[in-house]
Amino acid sequence: MKKTILVLSLAVVSAVSFAQKKKTTTSATVSFDATTKLDALPKADNKTVVAALNTKTGAIAFEAVVKNFSFSNPKIQEHFNGAQWMDSDKFPKASFKGKITNLSTVNFKADGTYSGTVEGDLTMHGVTKKVSAPAKFVVSGSNITATSEFSVKVADFNVSGPAIGAGKVATDPKITVTAEFK
Amino acid sequence: MFKHCTFVAVLKVYKMEKAKSKGWLKKILIAGGILLVAGAAIAWYLFNLKFDDTKTVKADYTVNAAAFLNEFKPDDSTANVKYKDKIIVVNGRVSETEAAADASINIKITDTLTDNYIIFSFQDQSLNEAKKIKAGDSVSIKGSFSDGVYSDILEVMTVNFKRCTLDK
Repeated sequence: MKKTILVLSLAVVSAVSFAQKKKTTTSATVSFDATTKLDALPKADNKTVVAALNTKTGAIAFEAVVKNFSFSNPKIQEHFNGAQWMDSDKFPKASFKGKITNLSTVNFKADGTYSGTVEGDLTMHGVTKKVSAPAKFVVSGSNITATSEFSVKVADFNVSGPAIGAGKVATDPKITVTAEFK
Repeated sequence: MFKHCTFVAVLKVYKMEKAKSKGWLKKILIAGGILLVAGAAIAWYLFNLKFDDTKTVKADYTVNAAAFLNEFKPDDSTANVKYKDKIIVVNGRVSETEAAADASINIKITDTLTDNYIIFSFQDQSLNEAKKIKAGDSVSIKGSFSDGVYSDILEVMTVNFKRCTLDK
């Protein structure tokens, strides 16, 4: 009997410990900026991005619902979701799955600001590519804020169209990811 | 004498033809100008289009949160097709408020049995009223339906809304 209680207690403790190492949020933000000198409209935010960070392994993941990118202009929003750009009916989600490559220099147990590099697979428009980006981690108590800014070439993800060719949409939009893990 | 008469006749015809062609040129220039102005006006209109304030937009559907969530299943696009780009009022009880990275607030209504959830991100002009909402409040939220998508990270269905506002 005592043995059973001990085993059960250990199982509960290890489950709680694992859960504490994996932090998630459903309100991370991904901003997309494809503006050019010719057109200031193609930019949008998605504020309901799902993100996860495992502070023990450095595993990090994001999922953004493509149709939840919110543009100010209805026409640009329509084009963004259309067949020539993101084709969001067919590819409803953009995702990233990777890890912090220099985890030993990021101390999630001590308050401070840490620089890191995140590498992994970015899947967009049905195409998966390896990406690497600098990231910043701000630790404050049990809260961690992760931010990263990088560019992708839309051609790498088979995104094209007359507006891109005409210089109205950047060929390498800037993407900013921010996630607050509590 | 005959030569002089022929010359005058030819000159007259030439002058008439020149006047005619000037008339045509004028017409073409006017038409081109009108087309140019119309094109510029259409471009200006499209460039300056903005989404209407959701508060002023008539809802296509009014739904109960629990029943609405049950319509969404992984690998089944029926509900996504039905609600595509629709303005919907969702009635339900708030499970959680979550601060987004830019200090705006998202509101969540979660099914406690399945952990499937609806999440609402608010339009800028409605952020102040969103910040007053607390977990446990009964709400009517009007927003633009985006998509119902299965999260591989959380292993639940997520239903996403944008440009939301309080309906009442």
